[in-house]
Amino acid sequence: MVPSTAPETVAGESPHADLEHLIKRAAHLLPAQGPITAFVHHNTLHAFEDLSFEDAVVKGAETFGCHPYLPEERYRQKLARGRILQRDIEAVLIDDLENDGDELLGFLGTRFHLRLAMLAHPLRTGPTAELRWVVAETESLRTFREETPPPNRDLAITDTRHWIMRDLRNGRTPNPIDERIRRTLDCLFATFDRQHIEKWDDDTWEMFTLHLLWLVCKDGVLRSDVESPTPRRSLRHRELLMDATGQDSDEYVHDLLIRFCAAFLDQGFAHWSMPNLEDGFYRTFLSLYDQPFRPVDRWARGLSQELQRLTDEDIGPLDSIAESLDLLGVSELERQGYIAATLLALRGYGGMIWQLETRGDRVAHPLPPETLIEFLAIRLMLDRVALQYVARESLAFREPLNKLRQHLSEKVPQHEPTSVDQRAFLVFQLAQLIGWNPKYLHRLSNAEWKILVSEIEAFPSLERRRIYHLAFERRYRIQTLDAVAVHSLTQRVSNTDGPSRAHRVRVPTFQVVCCIDEREESFRRHLEEFEPQCETLGAAGFFAVAMYYRGAADAHYTPLCPVIIKPKHYVGEDVVYSFKKAEDQRRSRRRAIGTVTRHVHSGSRTFTGGWLAAVFGSLASLPLVTRILFPRATARLRQLFHGFVKTPAVTHLQLERAESEPGPEPGHVGYNVDEMAAIVERLLRDMGLTNNLSRLIVICGHGSSSMNNPHEAAHDCGACSGGRGGPNARAFAQMANDPRVRDLVRNNGLPIPSETVFLGAYHNTCDDSVAYYDLDRLPTTHESDFERASAAIDEARKRSAHERCRRFETAELKLTTDAALRHVEGRAEDLSQVRPEYGHATNALCFVGRRDWSRGLFLDRRAFLQSYEPDQDDEESTILTRILQAVIPVCAGINLEYYFSYVDPVGYGCGTKLPHNITSLLGVMNGAASDLRPGLPWQMVEIHEPVRLLFVIETTHDAMLQIMQQNEGLANLIRGRWVQLATLDPQTSEIHLFRDGQFVRYRPSTNELPVAASSIDWYRGWRDHLGFAQIQHATSAD
Amino acid sequence: MNTETIFHTLGIIVVASPAAFVAVLGLTSLIGRPLRESAIESWTYASTVVGLLAAIAILFIMLATDIRHVPIELGNWVVIHLPEPHHNFHFHLKFVFDRLSVPFVILSFLLCGTVGAFTSRYLHRESGYRRFYICYSLFTLGMIVTSLAGTIEVLFFGWELVGLSSALLVAYFHERIAPVKNGLRVWAVYRIADAAFLIAAVALHHLTGEGDFDVLIGSGSWPEGQASLTANQALFVGLLLLVAAAGKSALVPFSGWLPRAMEGPTPSSAIFYGALSVHLGAFLLLRVSPILEMSFWLSAAVVTIGLLTAAFASITTRVQTDIKSALAFASLTQVGIIVVEIGLGLRYIALIHIIGHACLRTLQLLRAPSLLHDYHTLENAIGEHMQHEAGLWQRVMPVGLRSWFYCFAIERGYLDGCLDRFIVYPFRRILLFCDSIERRWTDFLSGGASRESDEVPVHEEVVEELRL
Repeated sequence: MVPSTAPETVAGESPHADLEHLIKRAAHLLPAQGPITAFVHHNTLHAFEDLSFEDAVVKGAETFGCHPYLPEERYRQKLARGRILQRDIEAVLIDDLENDGDELLGFLGTRFHLRLAMLAHPLRTGPTAELRWVVAETESLRTFREETPPPNRDLAITDTRHWIMRDLRNGRTPNPIDERIRRTLDCLFATFDRQHIEKWDDDTWEMFTLHLLWLVCKDGVLRSDVESPTPRRSLRHRELLMDATGQDSDEYVHDLLIRFCAAFLDQGFAHWSMPNLEDGFYRTFLSLYDQPFRPVDRWARGLSQELQRLTDEDIGPLDSIAESLDLLGVSELERQGYIAATLLALRGYGGMIWQLETRGDRVAHPLPPETLIEFLAIRLMLDRVALQYVARESLAFREPLNKLRQHLSEKVPQHEPTSVDQRAFLVFQLAQLIGWNPKYLHRLSNAEWKILVSEIEAFPSLERRRIYHLAFERRYRIQTLDAVAVHSLTQRVSNTDGPSRAHRVRVPTFQVVCCIDEREESFRRHLEEFEPQCETLGAAGFFAVAMYYRGAADAHYTPLCPVIIKPKHYVGEDVVYSFKKAEDQRRSRRRAIGTVTRHVHSGSRTFTGGWLAAVFGSLASLPLVTRILFPRATARLRQLFHGFVKTPAVTHLQLERAESEPGPEPGHVGYNVDEMAAIVERLLRDMGLTNNLSRLIVICGHGSSSMNNPHEAAHDCGACSGGRGGPNARAFAQMANDPRVRDLVRNNGLPIPSETVFLGAYHNTCDDSVAYYDLDRLPTTHESDFERASAAIDEARKRSAHERCRRFETAELKLTTDAALRHVEGRAEDLSQVRPEYGHATNALCFVGRRDWSRGLFLDRRAFLQSYEPDQDDEESTILTRILQAVIPVCAGINLEYYFSYVDPVGYGCGTKLPHNITSLLGVMNGAASDLRPGLPWQMVEIHEPVRLLFVIETTHDAMLQIMQQNEGLANLIRGRWVQLATLDPQTSEIHLFRDGQFVRYRPSTNELPVAASSIDWYRGWRDHLGFAQIQHATSAD
Repeated sequence: MNTETIFHTLGIIVVASPAAFVAVLGLTSLIGRPLRESAIESWTYASTVVGLLAAIAILFIMLATDIRHVPIELGNWVVIHLPEPHHNFHFHLKFVFDRLSVPFVILSFLLCGTVGAFTSRYLHRESGYRRFYICYSLFTLGMIVTSLAGTIEVLFFGWELVGLSSALLVAYFHERIAPVKNGLRVWAVYRIADAAFLIAAVALHHLTGEGDFDVLIGSGSWPEGQASLTANQALFVGLLLLVAAAGKSALVPFSGWLPRAMEGPTPSSAIFYGALSVHLGAFLLLRVSPILEMSFWLSAAVVTIGLLTAAFASITTRVQTDIKSALAFASLTQVGIIVVEIGLGLRYIALIHIIGHACLRTLQLLRAPSLLHDYHTLENAIGEHMQHEAGLWQRVMPVGLRSWFYCFAIERGYLDGCLDRFIVYPFRRILLFCDSIERRWTDFLSGGASRESDEVPVHEEVVEELRL
């Protein structure tokens, strides 16, 4: 597919090279999520990653109109529930104010205290009209706010009463300053019964005080003369037109454009593909919508002529963009902003076009380059038509469009950004809460009022939310670091062998290597509890095997490795020779059934096929009813039937390559022995698994399968870019078992004992099943080892399922472990289940280091765990560097995506799952027609706690600084505070926290940690967040 | 206990169980003691199972005793006597169990119950959980009442309940703009259908003196009734009823609302627009089918509209790129065919077709979110990417014609555009014109600007939490 614009855009010569450049820059603001079938977690604000986190969220809020932090109210709830403590807020505030906190602001006290008071209670505000209503109609001028401390309230009333009775009741005016208040009072007395002022009861005085306070505040604000920042006006005509008329021109444009984009991007859902698709977005649109005998909507009456003109005059996309911008009256200076705002108006589709254009290798039908430019050209052209229509219909505006913005800004006056009422209402509330009496307030000079109002305005909601957020993170960080400090010391004392694996005398009964995924934390912990003699390790779930993989029943190769790596090797799965014939039969059966299903599937939507299907449709009531009422039993039954088409269990991997070059062709599939040895050595050295190898080492990949879940892939292994890591585990085990590989590895100084056997396994994190690969190759000598290991794993997965169930409201808290396993199995098969599992929700920590200091610590499935032996690393921290290069970006990506999808579920996330509608096989939209919705659905993140990931890395802080110096990418994330970082000294267990560019010694605030006999003793009966605890059963392998 | 009392008791149970569900949900909310999720779930199960069992019992007794027509009379609720006897009016609460209503009732209970069970998990922890179930219970009651209605007034009552709950559930996500707009659109089309229905009902009263189907379409149990109207009367009433049916079942030219109705949560889309609500127009035509027989032109009109709808929808569904719209138009194709069958007098086939189609489509819509999963499985089974082989239209049709049809299909037959342009817009212009006259008049009377609402800004100011 050659883009039609190619001749015009020869590098350097194009008249619109600058325009092209602007569009490409704007494209980086678009969501970077690719097709939903391979879900890769990434930082939602990747476009602003060069800024610091705090600046980026504000920038994101400006650009995308999304929330930077949770609403204040939510943090206040956390404060009430003890998830934030008052001292956290104070500490954060002191830090934030640095030296300005103690500055005295006249009678207001210090800035620190003012801000503390502003944080203490909700400060209500709203549109001016609403505030006027609140003041006139609610209790706000009758009773003090209920949070007011009673002494403040009593003092305010008595004081005022005194003042009024003494100085103001009669005509005398003791000082000139009170002259002004007299006018106010005169109005006020008109509504109160002045004659009987001596008989007023307490309630009347309270009411009177508040009325007076309100009037004084208004008067003061009027006198303060504080400049308001002028609100930014949107560049787009559409927003101005909305303000002026309430009519949305985008509604017309999107109605058409969404349908066209969906059809253009379609990956094969629709029966009929779009004609002339190969002409590119722009030309296809021009030809498709220029049909004869086509009744058009009223708004689009000018469209046909416009299309005709563009075709006749042979105007290319870039020319058209330049022309549209001119016609719209967008100046050179505004272009960047205008283009960005225009693209962001339909950001889901814009982003998907950009993804399919730049990363086309991941889909069946990629897009040619420059499609985004063509999309923008069409969009601007439609914008023009729609704007003209709306302006003409509702404003009778018939001049050229480039005059429209001017016309509108004359018509809609710049309204005052913060009104007197809004300001006064804040002071009014603060006065009650802090205890400023009307008498004092009214005596303030104009200059003092100015200070007061600007100080309050300098700490707006956004700042308050930031402080709350930092306090929230601080609490969890302190809890974590305290727990790590206490626990690592305890472990150091109890581990007489010393901290390093190398010094350990006893060899573990078996070893299990899991993905670093925080969902495996509970699995590993339960395994260690049940079988204290075993050892568990963590490594990125592709186990250093970066490959394209095709299973025996799969149609295509899919990449199984982190998204930053583009694999070179291909691995296929084959049925073993003795089953070849059976498999051929089954394959043709599968094919036949597949073809029939497909015809039923698509045929049921056609005329005659649908008729046949419908007449026999009553048969569908059986699966309908059983699948919904008895999901687990139905699934069991289905599996029984599937037996006769399933791939035989006995398969093997085409792992070894005969030819020299890797590739997908026969003979080129697989690795050579040298490459295998490199992979095996790499992984073992990363984890420090170079000695004390058990007789059996289980390598366990993971993935997730669920029903009726468009976001299924988002639950799969992040290190396999939304794929399932079982094959990687299997491939690794096969490589490591190869004697030739072992020879090569031994020559490099890494002896693998001959009695050690590796075994691949796959953990389904949704139904908590574990499957093993290549058991038929297990030596008979190791059968008893396997039985012991698999018994422990069976128990561990049951218990892990049980622990997961505490988070599911529909699972009773009193379930047994067996019932819990059945519950999660049912969930995975249930069509109506929108929460098959909670995925990465609640992730908050990442530990890199030896398991010893985290073993036996209850981490509540919140920690990514990467194994690393500092003793075995060299001076340059080569191993740690390569670990962190993968772990920090991947884990931070997951964490930040959850952060943003939780903080603004509708803006950054994709909202609730309930109305989602899969479109073009690429993504979901809301209901009948909407923009594509990238991000995570609310049901996936609802139990998340948005904190930035805290890394605890077992190394010296000097080594860490050195790594940061040499890796700009990592340093950016750390210095930009996108992640939090602490180091745990391998020798002394001292903790250093990275703050403001340097490591600072962390002093634990406690030396105690709750102790529980087992995990279940700690979490039993509790659904909500749980703190850290030491689990006795799991603490040691000795 | 004789058979009649048994029938009477069971019949009342069938109607009362969904009515009780509505009452329980509604009253508890009204007195401010709303039910919890689990309680709502139990009530859903209870009311559906009780109603379903009673309906099945009636079916068996009818089969065993070979009684084909069981009327349940609940008396005259309103009686107005006028001097001329045929202008009398009575509102007669009457339900009829016959070969049309019993299968329909059982189908309604079955699908509503299944979808109710589905929803209890699907909407778990959703803030609008109770709101959904209130609409759902109204819908179930509406379906049962419509199916069993023995008089045209009772049918209208059920029909309205269905329409109201449908529109409210389309607009379920009322914090977004699109669902509310589309809900309003559905509601507006339903109003047109209802207006036609109401006129038809009044006309029938005038022509026959009462609204009982027994009298309207003659004695004899369905489908063997003989209408007591003349051909012209039948044509007039029949056309009005056809408009009503076309609005409710989204037949041409009202088809535009059907895909727009996919705004609610998936289960409501499934039960309403895949299964029950969309067939209600066809049900109405089945119920009054003896009238259709009276007039050739009426039957011809029914067949034509059905054919147009089926052809339109089957073309349109082929270009849809999202699963729910594709299923909506697929449903519409079958509804069109069902209407053709009714027009041709193939009533039993139409009934079987409705039942089968409703079950199939509900299942398909409920598992619509599995599309990617299913595609993946299918691709693996077949061993290649799912490519649609170039069909007849791609091989034979010239590109120009193909583009035209494609544009026709992707723009959904221009139906909505035409309705907006040729009906809504002129109508609105007239109203705006009247409004401007009135404004001039009031301005004149008050000697200045007379409308305070003009001053109110169109857009609200931004509140603090979002201001940056």
